[in-house]
Amino acid sequence: MMPRKIIENALNENRTKLLEHEAFEIAKYYGIPTPNAVLVKTPEEAYDLADKIGYPLVLKIVSPDITHKSDVGGVKLGLKNKEEVSEAVKEMLKTVQSRAPNARIAGIIMYKMAPPGLEVIVGGVRDDVFGAVVMFGLGGIFVEVLRDVSFRISPVSLDDALEMINEIKSATILNGFRGQPPADKHAIADIIVKTSKLLMENQEIESIDLNPVIAYSQGALAVDVRIVLKRGNK
Amino acid sequence: MSSEKLLEFFQPESVAIIGATPKEGKVGRAILENFIKKFKGRIYPVNPQYDEILGLKCYRNIKDLPESPDLAVIAIPAQHVPSALMELGEKGCKAAIIISGGFRETGTQEGAKLENELVEISKKYNIRVIGPNCIGVFDNWSGVDTFFTTKMRRPPRGYVGFISQSGAFATALMDWMAYHEIGVSRAISYGNKIDVDDVDLLEFLGEDDKTRVILMYVEGLKENRGKSFIETARKVTLKKPVIVYKAGKTSRGGRAASSHTAALAGDYSVYRAAFKQAGVIEAESFDEMMDVVRIFLDQPLMRGNRVYVVTDAGGVGVMLTDALTKNGFELPITPPDLKEQLKRILPPHCIVENPIDLTGDTDDERYIRVLDLLAKRDDVDAIVVVALPQVPGLKGTFIEYLAKLKKECNKPIVALTIGSEVSMETARKLRENGITVFESPERLANALKALRDYSLYVIKHMVD
Repeated sequence: MMPRKIIENALNENRTKLLEHEAFEIAKYYGIPTPNAVLVKTPEEAYDLADKIGYPLVLKIVSPDITHKSDVGGVKLGLKNKEEVSEAVKEMLKTVQSRAPNARIAGIIMYKMAPPGLEVIVGGVRDDVFGAVVMFGLGGIFVEVLRDVSFRISPVSLDDALEMINEIKSATILNGFRGQPPADKHAIADIIVKTSKLLMENQEIESIDLNPVIAYSQGALAVDVRIVLKRGNK
Repeated sequence: MSSEKLLEFFQPESVAIIGATPKEGKVGRAILENFIKKFKGRIYPVNPQYDEILGLKCYRNIKDLPESPDLAVIAIPAQHVPSALMELGEKGCKAAIIISGGFRETGTQEGAKLENELVEISKKYNIRVIGPNCIGVFDNWSGVDTFFTTKMRRPPRGYVGFISQSGAFATALMDWMAYHEIGVSRAISYGNKIDVDDVDLLEFLGEDDKTRVILMYVEGLKENRGKSFIETARKVTLKKPVIVYKAGKTSRGGRAASSHTAALAGDYSVYRAAFKQAGVIEAESFDEMMDVVRIFLDQPLMRGNRVYVVTDAGGVGVMLTDALTKNGFELPITPPDLKEQLKRILPPHCIVENPIDLTGDTDDERYIRVLDLLAKRDDVDAIVVVALPQVPGLKGTFIEYLAKLKKECNKPIVALTIGSEVSMETARKLRENGITVFESPERLANALKALRDYSLYVIKHMVD
């Protein structure tokens, strides 16, 4: 589906937060690398598609009414084969239904768990004065505690994005740390540029978080994408 | 909108002062006096109660004016401002400075309503407006001066242009600059900015050949004006430095954080990004702001990162080394050929390693010889001269030589001096000779960093 259509659907349903699979789809449309993900509704569907997705596999409940997924049994990690997957889907649907009986369920999103790497954050927000603004930071305490992030006003070029990456105080960590290989700055910069474009071309979006983006020595993957729309859009 | 229009605010041939009055202590009197003192064009006081004010023919109303004034200054109660602006529009006037307060800033419905009326009238008649609720324009070259703050000393004519969101700060800064003898070209405070704003004024000063350094005090730009600010600033910063002091640095509580990024994107961090992207220099404190203004007024661009320090005090040399290194400068180890040359001209107890220490028994001649060598070298990007004048042998005659050198080598030469009257005297002499002087190693390093960063930005983008 085109981003425009996804956004319109959400607004028509009075939702300002896009669902996981919707956010993934928009990110993918802009060429932001995301895990191969599908939305399934039944254990049978999950069973048929699991091999294509690959293992270890993650399941997450998708609902506009549930924010804390694990509290209602809506998250399963590390599933190793299609039998486990269909069993887990069956169980998840049951548990969620009993713990959150009134929640609308869009389905279950399933994707392959990303291998570990360096966790970074790429974000975007719309500013009253400057319009689309993008952000970069390292994940975990670097953002939460130290607020070690950098910003640029859109549009940003690849050079701007690289400058943002090198500008944060803890940038040396990206060059390899405690035996870790250096992170692929180009791949991260490419995601920043695409996030900027995404935000500029979709004025209804208020903010976007790619958190985390897992950076490898080659490539980077946005494993969680959150998109919030502006209130009062029509 | 083209900035040509703004010329009427700064170089009008005629001005009408609506609300001019002979009454002492009134804004309308102060402004009229300002114009009488310095403005060379035609002045028309307007006030329904007088036929003459301070020896000038006064007009009972705007309609009676003998011509359409290039500029109108309005200082009457808020409720009468819309009709005055309309009459000016009918007359054909294209530029108005509205000093009067009592509009949106009051937070009242009535104030907002009056302000909306002004917006409509200015659009209908195509009048550019500065204000309302502002102190307006102080133009040191044309004599346009609506700063009604009578006790403010006027700074000498010069080349700093100042755009201020705060009228009171603009006044204080002009007064301060008068005291410190820093020359000003034009200063503008725009109040509620219903029309002319920071971006328009930046564009105007960018093209103004009397302005060489632009200083801005910004609290916040108008909604959606950020992109034009960046665009305009990008053009201007390639021609002249733009220094911004951004007030309101602490994070805005009001923004509902809809996401992680939104929570982290405080107002200030976004402004900082914008400044960086446009080559704008951000001053983080009042001290820094004025240090940076001074260094830009006096110094040429710095073409690289290599600094040499020449000192008569070892301790200050070390302090400077720390401060400069902290700001990312390189203090190169004196290369062998230079070392040889220095050894030849200096007594054996002097230290030829950078920082080059001429020691406490130095005289002016030692400075001249060493500086002469350094200024000519391509591997020296800036020179810091520490001249503590308390040593007995130093007379200060090297200072004029320094001025000559600076012109020839076209690289920044800045100085540091610490002490009492004797140091102030050295500082004065240095300043007169175009050498920027500091009292603190840290402030020197900080200001030099601004010069370097700006220089590298310009050099990089000139090539692009």
